[in-house]
Formats: sequence, C-alpha cells, structure tokens
Amino acid sequence: MLGLEYTNSNQVKKALVSLAIETVLLEIGKPTYDEVIHKLFKVYKCYIPDCYEHPEYLKTILQDLYGSSSTAIIESIKKELEEFETQKGVDVFIAGISG
Amino acid sequence: MLVTLATTGLAMVVAEYLGKKAALVFTDWIFVPIPGALVVLSILSVKRHGLQGSHGKAWISFAIFSAMWFIAEQVWSILELFYNQKPFPSIADFFYIVGYPAYFIFAILYMRPVKKAITKKIVILSLLVAMAVLVPTLYMTFENNSDEDKLSIIIGAFYPVADAVVLVPALIGVVLFFGGKVNFLWSLMLVGIILEVAADTGFQYFSLDNSLYTGHPIDILFLWSYVVLAFGVYDHVKIFKTEKKSLHDKESLR
Repeated sequence: MLGLEYTNSNQVKKALVSLAIETVLLEIGKPTYDEVIHKLFKVYKCYIPDCYEHPEYLKTILQDLYGSSSTAIIESIKKELEEFETQKGVDVFIAGISG
Repeated sequence: MLVTLATTGLAMVVAEYLGKKAALVFTDWIFVPIPGALVVLSILSVKRHGLQGSHGKAWISFAIFSAMWFIAEQVWSILELFYNQKPFPSIADFFYIVGYPAYFIFAILYMRPVKKAITKKIVILSLLVAMAVLVPTLYMTFENNSDEDKLSIIIGAFYPVADAVVLVPALIGVVLFFGGKVNFLWSLMLVGIILEVAADTGFQYFSLDNSLYTGHPIDILFLWSYVVLAFGVYDHVKIFKTEKKSLHDKESLR
C-alpha cells in the first residue's frame, strides 16, 4: 500500500515537472517545444516526463539551442515549480537542472 | 551565402562598369528577387511558428518589416524606372521608416522569454557601441554645407539614427544566444545591420556630396544586407522545421 502511494506521488511530481517544462517551452513557441521533444527522442530516446529523472538532458538541449540565454529558460521552469520546490524529487530535478 | 554575396557584388560592379544607365536598371531589378526572398522566408517562418508564443508574434513582426522594405524597394524602382522621378525622398521612405519599428518589435519579442539573462552590462555596452556608430554620422550631417533640401537631409539623417537603435537589440542578441544554434541568426542580424549602417552612412555622405545615383557601389552594401538577413532567417527556419519529424518519432515508438 505504501509502495503504491509512493509511486502515485512520484507520478504526480513527474507530471508537475512535465507541465512546467511544457508551459515554458510553449510560451516561447510551438517550434521550440517540437525541437526539444525531437532532440530528447533523437539523442536520448526519451520524452519530456523522463527529464524528471534526467534534467541534464533538457539542460544540454536548451544550451545547444539558445546558448547562454538557456539559463533564463531554466529559471522560468524553476519559477513554474516554485510552489513544489521543497518536495522530494522536485528538489532533485531543480538541483539537476541548475547545476 | 558567400557565393551569393560574391556573385551579387560582382554583378553590380560589372553593371556599374557598363555605365550609369545599366547600373540603374540592374540595381532596380536585382532589388526585386533578393528582398523578395527575405519576404518569402519570413512568411515561411511565420507559417512554422503560428500565432502561439512569443516567437510566433516576433516572426509576424519580422514579416511586416521585410514586407515594408520590399514594398519600399519596389516603389523606389517604379518611381525611377517607369516615372523617371527622383526616388529620394519619396513615398518609399515611408515604407522604409515603418519597417524599423517592426524590426525592433521582432527583436524585443524574440528576446522576451530570455529577458532575465539580459544584464545591465550587456545593455550599456550595446548602447555605447550604437552611440559610437551614430555620432560620426550625425556630425557629418549637421556640419555639411550641402545644397540638398532640408527634408532630404532630415530623412537621410533618420536612417543612421534608426540603424543605431536596431543595432542595440542585435548586439544584445549575439551576446545572449552565444554558443547556441540560434546565434547564427543573431550574428547575421548583426552583420546585416552593420552593413545597413555602413550603407546608410555612405548614402548620406554621397547624397550630401551630390554624387549619389542608383547603382552606386554603396548599393552593394544595401543588397548584401538583404542577402545576409535572408540567410539568417533560412538557417532559423531549418533549425525549427521538426514538427513532422517529431510525429515520425512517435510513430516509430509503436
């Protein structure tokens, strides 16, 4: 029972992180969103929710596209997750994408 | 891009060598396909980006800019080739002038999602560079004793001022996107504007000197500015043409 709760909570956090990433990317533009999901699959064989465990993938792709300004996009994703930043898992994602 | 620059430059030099009439006709006609290519590419970018997001709106603004300058070039050519009228100053200037705010809005909207990365240092440095570009042109304009009418002098002086204004976001863009794929667009935007600054300064200088004519070597810089901007937009269109590819990826997962 406890295991199931943990899994559900983890899935919810994963969804929250995905939503934050998608919101920020779509605010920039649909082609940016498309390019990021394309690169995630092409290079790492994964999707946006997988960035929850591998924030470094997203960071690398954003750097490759937008250079030094990618830090501002990362800041926007962090701002979207502000409310949940202390939650276990989300904090790991934030640390990973910031580092 | 280098081949296009070399070919267009050489063609204009040859036309100039053949005489002023040949240079005039060639220059007026070459300003149809090159600025036209920029319009087509910016429309492609608008089509790709749609109305969504900051970049979608930015590309609409860029398309307006390129369309305004394309119209300006065609008005210039029509006045000169078909009506034998002096094209400067004319209604063409209205379209050139309207193009500047559209370009400025494009730059602002494009950089809006990453505005947090713009530091005061970058802004001050860009402003200083723009001022350094502007001062000599303004000095040249106000210290001259040309017999050009006041309106021509004022309109002629407007362009280097507007160039200096749009130079600021171009410089910021190059620093901001340094190391990223989109930096190629911004580097070419910067080169394009530098060419425009040089061309407008030259235009003002030779105009005050009464030695300017269509097909003058200074027109090569105007043409190159369009070539460089068009290649920048082309590269950007290429980077973000992945909608179909990502759909294909999903299919391949099944």
